[in-house]
Amino acid sequence: MKVKPSPYIQSVRPLLKALLTELEKSYPYASILAADSREKSYSVNRRLSSISGSGMMSARGFVVKVFDGKHWSEHSFNEITEEEIPDILKQIRETAAMSAAALPAGITENEYTAPEEEETVFSDSTSYQNDPEELGDDVILEKMKAVRDRGLAVSGQILDCVVQINWNRTSKLFLSPKKDLEQNILWTTGMAGTVAAKGQEIKSSYRSVSALGGMELLDRLGADVEDAAKTTIELLDSLPMVGGEYDCVCSPEVTGMIVHEAFGHGVEMDMFVKKRAQAEKFIGQYVASPLVTMHDGAAAYEQTGSYFFDDEGTMAHDTVVIDKGILRTGISDYQSARVLGTEPTGNGRRESYRRKAYTRMTNTWFEGGSDRVEDMIASIGYGFLLEQPRSGMEDPKNWGIQCMVSIAREIKDGRLTGKIFSPIVLTGYVPDLLKSISMMSPAPELSGSGFCGKGYKEWVKVSDGGPYMKARIRLG
Amino acid sequence: MIDKILSALKELDIRTYSITETRSWSAEAFFIRSSMDLKRRTTLKDYMVSVYVESEENGQKFVGDSVVPVYPGTDDAELKETLRSAYHAASFVRNPYYPLFDSGKKDPAPSGSAFAGRTLEENIRFMAETLFSCDTEGDVFVNSAEFFAVKKITRVVNSAGTDVSWETFNVNGEYVSQCLTPEDVETHHTFNFREPDAETFRADVEHAMKQTRDRACAKEAAPAGRYTVLLSGDQVRTIMSYYVDRADAGMIYQHYSDYEVGKNVQMAEQGDALTVILKAAEPYDRQGIPLTDRTLMENGVIKTIHGSARMAYYLGIEPTGVYRWLQVPTGSVPFAEMKKHPYLHIVLFSDFQMDSMTGHFGGEIRLAYLYDGEQVKLVTGGSMNGNILDAQRHMVFSTDRYQSALYDGPFAAAIPDVPVAGI
Repeated sequence: MKVKPSPYIQSVRPLLKALLTELEKSYPYASILAADSREKSYSVNRRLSSISGSGMMSARGFVVKVFDGKHWSEHSFNEITEEEIPDILKQIRETAAMSAAALPAGITENEYTAPEEEETVFSDSTSYQNDPEELGDDVILEKMKAVRDRGLAVSGQILDCVVQINWNRTSKLFLSPKKDLEQNILWTTGMAGTVAAKGQEIKSSYRSVSALGGMELLDRLGADVEDAAKTTIELLDSLPMVGGEYDCVCSPEVTGMIVHEAFGHGVEMDMFVKKRAQAEKFIGQYVASPLVTMHDGAAAYEQTGSYFFDDEGTMAHDTVVIDKGILRTGISDYQSARVLGTEPTGNGRRESYRRKAYTRMTNTWFEGGSDRVEDMIASIGYGFLLEQPRSGMEDPKNWGIQCMVSIAREIKDGRLTGKIFSPIVLTGYVPDLLKSISMMSPAPELSGSGFCGKGYKEWVKVSDGGPYMKARIRLG
Repeated sequence: MIDKILSALKELDIRTYSITETRSWSAEAFFIRSSMDLKRRTTLKDYMVSVYVESEENGQKFVGDSVVPVYPGTDDAELKETLRSAYHAASFVRNPYYPLFDSGKKDPAPSGSAFAGRTLEENIRFMAETLFSCDTEGDVFVNSAEFFAVKKITRVVNSAGTDVSWETFNVNGEYVSQCLTPEDVETHHTFNFREPDAETFRADVEHAMKQTRDRACAKEAAPAGRYTVLLSGDQVRTIMSYYVDRADAGMIYQHYSDYEVGKNVQMAEQGDALTVILKAAEPYDRQGIPLTDRTLMENGVIKTIHGSARMAYYLGIEPTGVYRWLQVPTGSVPFAEMKKHPYLHIVLFSDFQMDSMTGHFGGEIRLAYLYDGEQVKLVTGGSMNGNILDAQRHMVFSTDRYQSALYDGPFAAAIPDVPVAGI
């Protein structure tokens, strides 16, 4: 089934058209993005349960972007009626004129040329099997409680089992002089995690699922909660990592974090505009092993980072960023592409209508290779199998790596020893790590359970992943 | 809109509820180098409605709740369906009973901030002027900056009798400073001011630019080993956040923490025994609970378990509300004295993290000063991976003071014997 359009957006469409017509009288270019994003989060653990529709992505409102012939300005608001249009127009004009009050003496304003657009009319929706709103809150909670009980039953050492599921249904309408675009997207994510204590230390492990779709995901939720519980108990006896450079096998989730944090942020081309990305100087050069081919794009994979058009009205792409080790291109929003003289790649994304658009990743991943995981492990004299990424931070200027993972399983003489080290900080220089990749398993796996920030803010939904891969990595 | 929501709740016979209204206005400016690239403004109204379903079984009371956003412009039919659906969802959530907090009906609390006396655009200009006035070094410069001047009025109305509102102003944002030689590097910095304070902002920016220049000169990582690590500025607040999180009623109710009033959780030996005060940055928290300054811990001993109305009721303690601003008395050793012995002073991480569940703290090192007893060397790369449970007995804090938006306390902490992965 296809996701239905937002009735609210349909109801205000004539008003937005009227607003755009008025703006076109005053400005060489104007666009309006309307968004209606609804979501619901369910959570159960040993003692409590909750249902909430107030998640980070819930938002309904509008952003108007105008070009006055030289400069860009934006006004975000979330209420429109026919009577309010004159006041909204007044606020948009005041925003376009705010430079006089906001700019310090001697500070200039960047000048741009008028955007060029092609006539485009588009409307489409993603598909799903089970509508979360039709399935019923009671059915969803009962299924989650069953997963929780399985997790708790694994061992008396399990202090808690937390099960979460979230769905998000977003409708967007983009209007400009030549564009009329509509899209309706539904994604669902879930997580089952277990918690155990050893003295004051609380250890946890989780398994997550995500899909571009609906509550059909519920059937996969918690399929391996027992594994998560066993890992949690193993973590109680984990050892501190001895810092050094090791041969490592990365699970698809850890591969995904390296793809996203270590390299992906560095090819966001708004960073090229600011001269903040080292990648700009390496276009056409080897930055990775010839085994590496990297994609990003809302149309590159069906996952939680998918959409049909971005928040600036550019259609989604499948961008090959690295082709057999050679950096081919970055990804970009519309405005950055105009400055750089490149084609926009459909990566202009806003946290919500309330925020500015930046170049952002979508579904970001490495293609698979031809090696078996068993062979990767067998090839290592001393090293680690890395699992369960926790967080990462970008460094596009200097290509430093900071990725945190929860689990490093010791490998000795080609075999897993059963020893676990935790927590682990991955560091190093990005090209060194990517060039050291020597083996990759065939099938990439993508996970979209998390969000991506730009620095410490601007959260958007993304997915990332890849195959198992062998690389040499500095661990601490 | 609140009247419309109240009317719909009454019509649906939903008797237990809480409504949070947030009206906000912002002016925003985005700079590349010292040229404005984009200007923005926002005018927003947001409403969050929590509805509650109470039940009883075998003499035990339960309550279920569900929270939904209600948007301006929502028509009557959609509003009623949204609330009806939320009430239906709440009926499937059965948690132990707790009552809503009653703060009573109070006059609106205006902001005392000097930012309130100017327009949002003027507040942007004030902060931008301060930043760019420091951009005179030549070799180190402001690569880019973002400013958000925000005015917010929050009102909480609930069925227990609470009707409070308060106003806040702040200017927050970030800037990136860059140095081209000998290595082309950048450092990323955030700021958040509740009051216009050009002197502090200017000092922060000048300090940031010095760090950027030093990072450009740092070539290699420190040798792997165990160091007396010096942390400073907001990193010290991050260390304190472990105790704040562990003393949270929610963590205790879930049995993730065994903190209780009177428990010595730090067991300081050679180090400084910590005193931490929860400071009221706003008159109420998001539930409408009045905030007052409270001592969280004194000389390493827990004095207050803090948390929401719900978690406090579950534990049978007074609801304190939720705090973010921490005040800590200064420690026992001048920072200059700390630097007389070998140390690794890590001033920039990629992302310094404290995991309050495991006690681990650390991150990738972007800039540190390594003193081996003879000379100070600039180092970059590698990582620190410590644990507060090992470190807390021996932590020493500086007599030097540091203030930021969410922290007022010792500038530096010296933590001995911390593992560092380097070259």
